[in-house]
Amino acid sequence: MSVIDILTRVDAICKKYERYDVEKLNADNVHGNDAFARLYASVESDIESALQKAEMAAGEKNRAAAVALNAEVRRTKARLLEEIPKLQRLAVKNVKGLSKEELATRSDLVLALPGRIQSIPDGSTNGSKQTESWTASRTEIRFDSTSDGRFESEYFQQTEESSQFRQEYEMRKMKQDQGLNIISEGLETLKNMAHDMNEELDRQVPLMDEIDTKVDKATSDLKNTNVRLKQTVNQLRSSRNFCIDIILLCVILGIAAYLYNVLKK
Amino acid sequence: MATPDPDKLMAKADKLTKLSFTRWTADWKNATSLYEQAAIGYRFRKDNEKAKEAFEKASKGQEMISSPWDAAKHMESAAALAKELGHWNEVSDFYRRASELYRECGRSQPASDALAKGASALEDAVPDEAVRLYTDACVILEEDGREQMAFDLYRAATSVYVKLERYADAATFLLRWGIAADKCHAVNSQCKAYLSAIIIYLYMHDFQQAQKCYNDCSQIGAFLSSDQSRCASKLFSAYEEGDVEEIKRVAQSSPITHLDHVIIRLARKLPTGDLKELNKEEAEEEVLDENDLT
Repeated sequence: MSVIDILTRVDAICKKYERYDVEKLNADNVHGNDAFARLYASVESDIESALQKAEMAAGEKNRAAAVALNAEVRRTKARLLEEIPKLQRLAVKNVKGLSKEELATRSDLVLALPGRIQSIPDGSTNGSKQTESWTASRTEIRFDSTSDGRFESEYFQQTEESSQFRQEYEMRKMKQDQGLNIISEGLETLKNMAHDMNEELDRQVPLMDEIDTKVDKATSDLKNTNVRLKQTVNQLRSSRNFCIDIILLCVILGIAAYLYNVLKK
Repeated sequence: MATPDPDKLMAKADKLTKLSFTRWTADWKNATSLYEQAAIGYRFRKDNEKAKEAFEKASKGQEMISSPWDAAKHMESAAALAKELGHWNEVSDFYRRASELYRECGRSQPASDALAKGASALEDAVPDEAVRLYTDACVILEEDGREQMAFDLYRAATSVYVKLERYADAATFLLRWGIAADKCHAVNSQCKAYLSAIIIYLYMHDFQQAQKCYNDCSQIGAFLSSDQSRCASKLFSAYEEGDVEEIKRVAQSSPITHLDHVIIRLARKLPTGDLKELNKEEAEEEVLDENDLT
């Protein structure tokens, strides 16, 4: 027989013989005649569960889950506060088999209940402070919830080292902010200069285009002139003219030498 | 012909141009070259008066032989000499004539340059005429669609206005500068011009005008999203709070320090007058309005 089968059979047998379960019957009937005690017990258990939920919410990293848990705690608290008047009425009623002192203590217990219910932490006492800071910092974009420096709430506890560390962190952050300010000033100057240079260059672009066309025209003119000049010079440099030039040059040199000789004497 | 006597040259040239019984047409070509030589000779001798006359005549000669470019050049030289002599009205006349001649050649840039030269020559002596010359020079360039070149002229004209303490005119001129900058998409210059205008209005202690100016300029998208408009709004909030320290701090801030130095000097002197007066004025106006309504 497998485990599951055993379990099913055990459950079936238990159900069949429930009527004979003395303990359970006693637990059910222990407050059977006492409505106050029953209600009080249920309120107590609710308070316990609410406290547990509050503890879970305090340690919860996931903000959404924490918010949900806190909301549940608040709902429970509200419901319990509503039950309190009923309890008070029942406390006054006299029940069979109850001593006079017990009656007195009951009313005291009922009076103590609201205080206990209110003291269940549901994140609303700190919530107001947090909402204020959220509205204040809505204008700034924040990605880091520990950077706002509010470490007084009970969510954060400090030791000496951690506070020193945080101080150092704040100092360094201040220095970084100063450095960043200087950088931003320099960048602003650069930006202004760059804008001015941009406009100056824009101004010079059409001028450069004009220069370009004019120089192109000048080079083409020059090329034409050069070609014509080359043709002319070639014409002039025909061999006949060249020989005549050389002969005449020699003649002139001879005459010059003769004169030089004559004059030297 | 290195050092012939300029007087002789002048006399010869005059003879060539004067019509007489023996001469039916004036020989402008030769006369012009003679006049030019004479003018150069006089200038070398530092005889400014005669040189100026010689240049004038040379320019007329060039006109006669229909070369307006050379004519304009000679006119400019004549005007420079007139400036040395201190004949201010002649200076302005000559430069205007030179500018017209350049425009005949169809060259707008030299035309406006001639007027600008005239204006800078007259800045100290006859500032009103200088401003008029600057305005005309800007008009010439704008007609030709070359507003970019006009920025320097706008700057110079604004500084002349500020020197004359005609702040309203200066501010109007700055707004014109803004228009010119807008046409050639020079956003930075446009925003700087508007910020300068606002500062001038504040210097005149005319808070309402400054506000109106700021509101008008904010219609322009490029200005609205610029550093300069943010700086202007900071200035206004500082004025409204009456916080002198804040005004001084904003005046030291980066957008203002990149404006023209004339404007920076004005900004450093802000706030002029009593800030409480401004707020009182506004309150008085409100009281009047209430009375009117009831």
